[in-house]
Amino acid sequence: MHNPTFETTTMTRVREKGQRGERQEKSPPSSSQTSARTFWDMKVAVIVERDDDGERLIRELQRMRCGVHHEWPMPQQVPAQFDAIFCALTDDLPQRLPWLPGEPAAALIVVDHGKGALDLTLLHNCAPHAVLTYPSTGRAAQASLAVARSHFLYERRLRSRIDKLDDSLRTTRSVERAKSLLIRVKKVSEEEAYNYLRRQAMERRVTIGAVANAIIDSYDLLG
Amino acid sequence: MPARRKMAAGRGRGKNDQRQQEAVGPRGNEERERGLTRSSNTSEPWRVGVLFSRTGFMAVIEETQLRGTLTAIDEINNSGGVNGRPIEPTVYDPGSEARAFGRLAKRLMVEDGVSTIFGCYTSSSRKAVLPVVERLNGLLWYPTLYEGFEFSPNVIYTGATPNQNSVELCRVLMKLYGPRVFFVGSDYIYPRESNRIMRELIRNSGGSVVGESYVRLGATRSEFLPVMREVKKAQPDVIFSTVVGDGTVFLYQAYADLGLDPKVMPIASLTTTEAEIRAMGFDVGEGHITAAPYFQGIGNERNSSFVRRYKKRYGEDEPTNMCLEASYFQVNVFAKTLEETNSMDTEILRASVMGSEFEAPQGNVAINPIWGHADLWTRVGRANSLGQFDLVYESPSCVAADPYLIGYSRSIGQRSLALA
Repeated sequence: MHNPTFETTTMTRVREKGQRGERQEKSPPSSSQTSARTFWDMKVAVIVERDDDGERLIRELQRMRCGVHHEWPMPQQVPAQFDAIFCALTDDLPQRLPWLPGEPAAALIVVDHGKGALDLTLLHNCAPHAVLTYPSTGRAAQASLAVARSHFLYERRLRSRIDKLDDSLRTTRSVERAKSLLIRVKKVSEEEAYNYLRRQAMERRVTIGAVANAIIDSYDLLG
Repeated sequence: MPARRKMAAGRGRGKNDQRQQEAVGPRGNEERERGLTRSSNTSEPWRVGVLFSRTGFMAVIEETQLRGTLTAIDEINNSGGVNGRPIEPTVYDPGSEARAFGRLAKRLMVEDGVSTIFGCYTSSSRKAVLPVVERLNGLLWYPTLYEGFEFSPNVIYTGATPNQNSVELCRVLMKLYGPRVFFVGSDYIYPRESNRIMRELIRNSGGSVVGESYVRLGATRSEFLPVMREVKKAQPDVIFSTVVGDGTVFLYQAYADLGLDPKVMPIASLTTTEAEIRAMGFDVGEGHITAAPYFQGIGNERNSSFVRRYKKRYGEDEPTNMCLEASYFQVNVFAKTLEETNSMDTEILRASVMGSEFEAPQGNVAINPIWGHADLWTRVGRANSLGQFDLVYESPSCVAADPYLIGYSRSIGQRSLALA
């Protein structure tokens, strides 16, 4: 992996200087890679006070071509329908987050005002994807957004992988059962039974698990 | 519990020294301390969370789990607490609503600063708590049988999984009553998954499922009559019920109202305990079958004393049951572990509890080190006219948990029935 932060900065500069497209073509075109384009039109909520630091953060996000939505004072419930949320780290932030820990609806970057001792328990309870500490730089804002978003997506991929694994575990059992039914009832070999299941799945354009379950169910109905 | 006391003097010490507890300032020793005070120089309570419904359609059984939990905590505190510090429960009532379990688990961990939670009956409530304890790294102790096929590094499961109840139940039913089974269930995760496994067992053992019907969770009495009429028409040998909550009472009562006979066509269940039998009426429950790791009537001294203490506290009429027993023994397993670790840190607690053994009212049990599920006893009982279960089958020792059903045989074995 190349260094995303470095690439991001470079590309932004390239665009700002208004240079021609040749150099951009050389960079990875895929939109799923982290590049400056990743942030274009990303919906970002910013829930911080509009002081100097806040203004700087908003300006940087706008410069990154994010769609910025600012809100202050902090609403009772932090809005969730964004790709990423910058939110001031307040004592009651965990209660204001609209999701349960472990089921975040957006990448969360908590914004620490940088004064006094950092409350690590509070930080843990917010379960953020990144932290931005004031006084911040444009570079830090960029990095925190990139890291938070990639962590959020990575978590989501892992969760969906676990769901799929759970699911295939059950499917495997059904396929095994259907196979042994076919071997018994149709008096075929194990391989023939499996091929039969696969063929049926292809012809009917359904999953092999669905075919297996249908066979098991219908066999049960026949009694 | 005896085991805990034994642990206290010996092994517990070494670990205390290594893993000095999180810094809680010296507060002076607890009065009743048992003289092993080096690291327990504070009387600050060990705070834990408790989530069982006292209201809503799951209240009948969850209330008993709450009692089991609080009884264990009180007994531990009355004999000096854990390393001189009492256990202090924060108790919430999620009102039988799965989403409230998730919300309250968050509140316990975030606002109350608790990391260990005892709770949950239904699988939907467990699944609601799961992301919270996983993300914030808490430890949920789950004292209820469930459908298996789950593993989380943040849960200790102390109820039975299918290899510890369904397999033997299926064998007993087919042997005693016949191979034709009708499924009735509440419409949520546990019954559907549990029936999938039961169906596989029945089919592979030459039996058949002659009908299947689901009623919504929290269904009213009137919704069970049509179901039971359907059952009556199908004339199975056995009804396998995965109905939970208030519905259990309605189901068995509808059965009785239709004049069906449990001697020929009983309802078999993994969830109908002494608590539900009491709620439906002993006459209604008599003759029906339940598989469970524990029944109040099992004869051993440890259980008799547990039952005596429970009745003394809650009244002579109050029966114990498997969910109550699991709730009770898991708090004791926790306390015994805590005594060794002297730390509520999830990583440390979990590492220490895995593989540990414990003398529970049901017999000796262990926390399976691979799965974090308890190795439990398998028993099948038939309800009698006193609302108690007479044993029809009992395993020779506790059965290793196999939540993913990896090692069990796909059909019921040929072992002879140990009829009581």
